[in-house]
Amino acid sequence: MGNCCSDAGGRMAAVGGTAATGNQNDAVDLYLKSRGIHGIFSQIELSFSATDLRDRDVFSKSDPMLVVYIKERDGSVTEVFRTEVVLNSLNPTWITKYTITFHFEAVQNLLFHVFDVDTQFQNVEVKMLKLEEQQSLGEASCALSEIVTKPNRLLTLDLVRRVESVSSTHSQHRGKLTVHAEECFSSKTTAEITLSCLDVESKDLFSKSDPFLVISKLVESGISIPVCKTEVLKNDHNPTWKPVFLNIQQVGSKDSPLVIECFNFNSNGKHDLIGKVQKSLEDLEKLHSVKEGENLFLPTLVGHDYENKILKSKLFVDKFSETIQHTFLDYLAGGFELNFMVAIDFTASNGNPRLPDSLHYIDPSGRQNAYQKAIYEVGEVLQFYDSDKCFPAWGFGARPIDGPVSHCFNLNGSSNNCMVEGIRGIMMAYTSALFNVSLAGPTLFGHVINRAALIASQSLANEAQKYFVLLIITDGVVTDLQETKDALVKASDLPLSILIVGVGGADFKEMEILDADKGERLESSSGRVASRDIVQFVSFRDVQGGEISVVQALLAELPTQFLTYMRSRDIKPCS
Amino acid sequence: METKSSTLEITILSAEDLRIDKKPVKKNAFVVVSIDAFNNKATKMDREGGSYPSWNDKLVMDMPMQTRFITLQVKYCKSSSGGERTVGVARIPVTDFIGGYSPETCLQYLSYRLRDPKGLKNGIINVCLRLKEPVQNCSSQAAAEAVAASGGGVGMGIPIDGRIDFGVVTGIPIWSGYPSNSLFR
Repeated sequence: MGNCCSDAGGRMAAVGGTAATGNQNDAVDLYLKSRGIHGIFSQIELSFSATDLRDRDVFSKSDPMLVVYIKERDGSVTEVFRTEVVLNSLNPTWITKYTITFHFEAVQNLLFHVFDVDTQFQNVEVKMLKLEEQQSLGEASCALSEIVTKPNRLLTLDLVRRVESVSSTHSQHRGKLTVHAEECFSSKTTAEITLSCLDVESKDLFSKSDPFLVISKLVESGISIPVCKTEVLKNDHNPTWKPVFLNIQQVGSKDSPLVIECFNFNSNGKHDLIGKVQKSLEDLEKLHSVKEGENLFLPTLVGHDYENKILKSKLFVDKFSETIQHTFLDYLAGGFELNFMVAIDFTASNGNPRLPDSLHYIDPSGRQNAYQKAIYEVGEVLQFYDSDKCFPAWGFGARPIDGPVSHCFNLNGSSNNCMVEGIRGIMMAYTSALFNVSLAGPTLFGHVINRAALIASQSLANEAQKYFVLLIITDGVVTDLQETKDALVKASDLPLSILIVGVGGADFKEMEILDADKGERLESSSGRVASRDIVQFVSFRDVQGGEISVVQALLAELPTQFLTYMRSRDIKPCS
Repeated sequence: METKSSTLEITILSAEDLRIDKKPVKKNAFVVVSIDAFNNKATKMDREGGSYPSWNDKLVMDMPMQTRFITLQVKYCKSSSGGERTVGVARIPVTDFIGGYSPETCLQYLSYRLRDPKGLKNGIINVCLRLKEPVQNCSSQAAAEAVAASGGGVGMGIPIDGRIDFGVVTGIPIWSGYPSNSLFR
């Protein structure tokens, strides 16, 4: 959320370019969302090398080739990529790179398999090789997020005979595989340009023109595609427009030709062209440095041909600055962490945990209940971004063995330490807590939000590079909405995002108020308003089928929230 | 008691949904920041901003330690007559940024509900601020000293059940004779 400033409304507003916060424009967002790609996605290029491979051939060294598979949730593997064959080497560095799209909200499991290509196949094309006829030199697997969270984005894995095999004590030394990830981007640079004009001709009869600019890029066929337009300045023949932000990727490159046309705004929609110039971003930068203007020209009909009539109006570049937009992966590479915290609803409305119809029922067959599913789906993605894998875990709305109802008790049963180790630690603490507390009520979030905010604020005071994600899983509507709003407003300036998942059959309409996407900015009882929207709410029941689960769609927004926080406070990743 | 003061750097970022006489403000909005009656500064006017003006104006002011509130008044100038009218007022309790979650020297982004002279809601104002020098719980210290000196003294209130809570309350004035239902929008 944050600041919202639209000067002129409707058709006179500035459109296009890159927003000041550096988001992709709305059309691109819509395109991606319609294809199920939420949030930010990055293309990553993986390059591979291996050391110490086993020697299989008798008279020469192995001829290794790497094959990459994607492991789906159900265990099936699909081949996605093969490198080239490197001849006669036990320490190959493959040149061909694999490009994969990084999805923050999913765990992308990759399986790498090194093969020794038999000499008889030396002249066969790589994609025609039949893998069953080659000899395996070993395999390794990891998740894509493990690679990108490493400091140099470099991960070294031991090659083993079979990744699934349990007998890991028998270390069959098969060498190591090194995977390096690099983000593909045309350019992270955004140019901020302030343009002005002197002596714009009057097109209106009794008043000065209402000029605005349209910046278009010229494609090879000569067609111009508009990239952005400025706002309309009324009655001004020396206009200075608000700055436009252009991502170099949007226009192609810094020397791509751009056409800047100056129009006179007419309310009937037929805007008159006052004049235009053709400049690239590089030329605009030069104009800015020499502080000179460029005359506009107007193609006018002379006889049967169009001639470029040079006008006295001049275009000036008042400001030209370039900024680098750091991506989410840049912050990760710089050492930023996402810390996962979880709070579980232990109110009586869940039902007696020993009965099968309770939302807290632990099925002996191993089938996960709604709470376990939510913890697992969010936790397994976020755990890679937390270096120590220790997570604070709380319960609320229950009475521990000897004591009054607590709205924030440590899940592990300890009185002073709220941390558990790994997702397994959360699951174990959850199941043991279920039988050590008596479910009570009411449903209050204020206490856990305040606890989480305290942890985030202590980290802020220590200048740690951490961003916190609190997952609250609840079966009911919050009882004291105002106290929750107060806690959220107070915490809205912290590096904290709150994901609320509603389970069970309750009507969560009221909870959607907490998510500012679906309503207005939260207001506390003292008149303070939330400075940003830190809550995302989703109900498990809204599962509409499809491959992306409800929780994944929730997670997909996290990198955007993280980036908005960092960029608005001008926090840059340290390299 | 020595008067300690700190320097407040406050940047008035923008405001949203400003209305005057139920119609959106057209232009020339500006903000006056007051720490007390004599210590105030104004931002530049946003000529085209309309009802969603943005200023991004940084003001540096001295803030004595006993300050409890910082008042923000959004006003606008009717260009023809040059007279200014108050669109809305918000009061930032100092405890919102001192002794809160973020350290006071850290840049904090805060937003507040504006209320017009009649007490009705009228938009939101967005600011970011920080103190230049860190404060060692000065406001609660000064208050504690005041309590000790005057024994529960004037205007400090008597803590109930031993809680020492120097939080401040921002109230909405009730005007007698005003129809009560329009205060709760």
